[in-house]
Order: sequence, then C-alpha cells, then structure tokens
Amino acid sequence: MAKIKYTRIGGDSGAYYGFMIVSALVAALLPIAALTLYVNGHQVTGMTNQVPWGMPIVMAIYLIGASAGSLVLSAMSTVFGKTEYKPFARLASLLAVLLIVAALMAIILDWGRPDRILVPFFHFQPRSMFSLNAILYNTYMAIGFLYLVALFQENDLWSKRLGLAAVIIAVGVHSGTGAIFGFVYVRELYNSPLLPPSFIAAALSSGTALMIIILHHTFGATGRPFDQRYITGLGRLMGLFILVVLYFIFIENVTRSYAPKNYEAASFLLLHGGKYTFYFWGGLILMGLVVPAALALNSVTGSSVRWILAAAWMQLIGVLMERYLIVIPAQILPLELLPGMEITSDFMDGQYAHYSVSLVEWMYALGLFGVVAFGYGLAIRLWPMLPEEALINDTPSAGADGAAN
Amino acid sequence: MDFDRRGFLKLGAVAAAGTAIGPVAAAVTGQSPAAAAGKRLGMVIDADKCPTDCTACVDACRKENNVPRFTEPELDMHWIRKIKFHPKGVEGAQERSFPAMCFHCENPPCAHVCPVAATFIRPDGIVQVDKHRCIGCRYCIVACPYKARSFVSKPVEPAEDGNPNVPSRTHGVVEKCTLCAHRVDEGKEPACVEACRATGQEAMVFGDLHDQASAAAELLRTGRARQLRADLGCQPGVYYMGL
Repeated sequence: MAKIKYTRIGGDSGAYYGFMIVSALVAALLPIAALTLYVNGHQVTGMTNQVPWGMPIVMAIYLIGASAGSLVLSAMSTVFGKTEYKPFARLASLLAVLLIVAALMAIILDWGRPDRILVPFFHFQPRSMFSLNAILYNTYMAIGFLYLVALFQENDLWSKRLGLAAVIIAVGVHSGTGAIFGFVYVRELYNSPLLPPSFIAAALSSGTALMIIILHHTFGATGRPFDQRYITGLGRLMGLFILVVLYFIFIENVTRSYAPKNYEAASFLLLHGGKYTFYFWGGLILMGLVVPAALALNSVTGSSVRWILAAAWMQLIGVLMERYLIVIPAQILPLELLPGMEITSDFMDGQYAHYSVSLVEWMYALGLFGVVAFGYGLAIRLWPMLPEEALINDTPSAGADGAAN
Repeated sequence: MDFDRRGFLKLGAVAAAGTAIGPVAAAVTGQSPAAAAGKRLGMVIDADKCPTDCTACVDACRKENNVPRFTEPELDMHWIRKIKFHPKGVEGAQERSFPAMCFHCENPPCAHVCPVAATFIRPDGIVQVDKHRCIGCRYCIVACPYKARSFVSKPVEPAEDGNPNVPSRTHGVVEKCTLCAHRVDEGKEPACVEACRATGQEAMVFGDLHDQASAAAELLRTGRARQLRADLGCQPGVYYMGL
C-alpha cells in the first residue's frame, strides 16, 4: 500500500465554523448542568432514593461502549492486518480517546461530591467494580493516547504493540462496565453473567455504527476522495455485531424468564412495564437491532450508502436505549425484602419506582455529545488526523463490485 | 527480546489474573473484623410486639440523628422505617409491621461495592460510612438488598434544636443508620430501641449477639429468630421473630 498522506483540514469554511460554534454551545450545556447539580444536589435530576442512577450513568456506559468500537476499527489495520483500514487508524483512535474522556466526565460529574475527585486515587476497594474500573478506564485512556502518538510517529512496531494492548484492555474495560450491573445479585434485572460479554457486543455494534456516520460525514464535508466500499464493508460488520447482540439479549431474557421467582421481573421488562416495555420491543429490538441488521445484511440495502447510514443511526439510538434499559428498569422494580409477603412503607417499599429524565439530565447528556463533537472538530483542524484520500486498491473482489452507490 | 503479540497476550493474562485474585482471595480467606474482635452488635426484633400504628422508633431516630424530613417522598431519607406486611394473595389477611434499618451485615454488599472504601465495618460489627470520604456515587444504594441507605439529594440546613452529638450533614453523600454508634460508644442503647422500650412494647432488643449472656443472644437461642433474605448470604446482624 502506498504511503498514506495525512493532513489537517483547512477549517476556514463557514460550515466548519458553524459546526464548531454549535458544538461549543452544546458542550457548554455540560458544565452548566454539572454545576446546577453540584450546587443544588441531585434533586434537580429525575434520580431519587428509589432510582439512584439515571441518565448520567446511561451516558457513561454508552460512551464507553462507543469508544471500544472506534478502537477496534483503528486496530484493524495496526493489529489485525486489515491494511485497507489504515487510513482511519488515527481518526478512530482519536475518537476512542475522546469518547472515554467524555465517559469519565459523565461518571465523575454525576458524583454527589465531584470535588473529591482525588479520593479514588488514594483509597481502593478490590471488590468494587467501580474501583477496578477506575484503573481500567484510566489505563485504557492512557494507552489509547500513547497508541495515537505511535500512529503519528508512524512507528509500526509500537503502533502494533500499543494497539494490541489497547484492545486487550478494552475487553477488560467493557467486561468491567457490564460487571458493574451484572454483579448486583439482589436485583434480578441486573444480576447476569451475560452482561459483560453482551456489553462488549453492543459496544462493537454501536462503535461501528458511529464510525460509519463519522467517516461518511467527515469525508463528505471535507471533499476528500473516499471509497464508498468502506461504508458497505463496515455496514456488514455492524450487521454481524448486531446479530451477536440479539443472541445475547435473547439468551439472557429466556434464561431469566424460565425461573418462576423471576416472572415478575421478566414480565415487567417484556410485557407490562409501560414505557420500558415499549423501549425494549419498539426501540431496542425493532428499531435498534432487527431493522438495522436486516438493512445492513440485505444484499440490496446493504450495498446502498444511504440505507447503511440509516441503519447506523437506528443502531446508535437503539444501543442508547439498550444502555438505558440496562441501567433503569432494574431500579424501578421493588426489592423483595420479604418474599411471599406484600409490603408497604413510607420509603415506598413494595412499590414500583418512577424515573424520568429531567431537563438538567438532558442538558448533561447533550453536553457530553457536544464535548466529543467539539474535541473531534478541533483535533482534525489542529493535527493531521485525516488521510488526503481513502481509496481501496482495486484488486476486484466479488461482492464489493456493486457497492459504491 | 522481541516483545511481540504473544508477549502482550501473556501480559494481559497476568494482569487479568491479578485483578481477579483480589476479590476472590478476600471472599475465601477474609475474616470480618467483627468476628476477629469476637463482638457482634445486633438486634432481635419481635414483629408480634410491634403495633402497626406505632412510629416511636422512627421518630426517635429522626430526632437523635437530626434526619430531616423532605416533602418529596421519593427524595426523603430513611434511617429506619416501619414496614407493613401481609401474605400475598390472602384475602382479608391481618396487616402487621416491623421496623427496618441498616442490618449491619457481616458481608455487606454496600462495603464491597464502595470504590473508595468509605463504608467499613467496625470491630464491633457496626457498618459505618465515612461521610468525609464518600464520593456520592450511590453504588451502595443500588447494591443494598435492604434499602437501608439514603442519598442526601439537596442541601440541608442544620436544625436549631438538633442533637449536637452527631455529625452535621452535607448533600451529595450517602448515609444510613449507624446503630447510634455515638450512643453505643457511651454504653447506651440505640435511640430506636430505647424509644421502643419506653412505649412498653420492648419489640426491639439490642446487644452483643456473641455474648451468650445478652438478652439478644438468648432470643436467638429460642430458634425462632431469623434474618431477612438470609438466602443472599449477607449475614445481617438484625434478626426478626414473628414474621
């Protein structure tokens, strides 16, 4: 493969400035929301003593997941030898780092006491997934950054070493994130050994979807030559990842539904949970998984960039719903304090809890997207992240021919 | 040495084993500090002696520990609450009640999940929260099977006539029943137990469960007391009779 020439974007068009101004304004919502939360307490959110984790945690695990997908795409060329993806190695690892930074912001600013940010550096609890994840997330962020540096140095050996280290740690990061919930043995909708692997699967599918969208729009907006077969190739990959996600969700729910003690929890999610049931079937299964997988893997729609983009957007929103469904419904169900008894109390024992995302939480979530978008826009302007062109060397292969529509 | 992919895989395996060993070793060999000290403070509560309309223990706790009352029920903090219960699916069953607070477990999930070890077990078995270390992540609330914990979700003005013997509170941290550690350390009973006795019910008996001479240990020996959700293995220090 010819040497790839990376250059900064010009960044002097009205469209670029427009993008940056809008990103900055949206990003500004995050500090506003976080400060409101810090000063007034969590009363400004939908979170309560019944549902202590809300949208910030949903966003954190969503961003962590998307980060892995980007990293794997970056590592495809450096670690797994798929050289045709090399033009995007820098871009994808940049996104991986930006997304994990945003995820850490999502976690820390949601603490009741974010001013105690240094405490976890001095006190450690080896049984706590949060404690272990603090190590994993920070290591992942640091290695991701060093990997990016190695890519810039065009040091193939270190790119490979650090890329592989980042992939290994990414597996730990995502297993650890799933385990935060999977290890909570008292809540039926959390407790599952499948959560860590299914978390990785959804991370890969949503990360690939994000890359599809970003590559398409970045190359489109900068007018750099771009082979559309990249989109169709990534579309197929996304489709396969989605099938794995579907498999995990199927097995998890069937297993849970089998035991009579879980009938209430399982039927809450699957049958009578109101908006949660709707999000599950309509949002996650149909819009987020089945339709995008069908679009991506069907030979007609799967070779159309427009359809794949639609599938990628559906998958991205679907996985956000999946993360929401991981975090929230398990807290809505009442805890079984006295099995076999109906219980009531002033502390709402025995009742289904309520949660809805407050305005401050929407600002918080949007602000996180804004931070990533602004960081991305700034980085591709400041450093040569983008290849001047991304074209696949034509050694014609069956199946790829009709791809560039 | 050529540090190739295989080398990295080995390194990864060692790192993974390292992170896994900590909790496993703690689970297998870990002896709780309470057991080490030989003391186990706890309680035996008789639901048969607990009238459904009595809230003496709850009121006493709020007063003793300056626990504020929030008007929003979902945000309100509960160190102790009265739980009313009747059998599921039994028409016209009598409603009965018992108080529930932090059960000061020997295997407390709240302490296990706390990322900064702000929750810890005292040598006498009391599970405490270091409010100066808590970062307010709320993992403990999610993990506690007994709903014993409350997050302070808004600023609280100190009450003018509040008890000066307990720490003041700030919002953004998690708190819970301390088993009135400040009173216990002075040789007194928790406020809820004292208030219960004052009503003449004596539904709550406090003491060292390992001290065979204590009234609580005597009640345990009747074989009629049991822990809530004993199946979870948390080993609560609060036992119930008459459930």
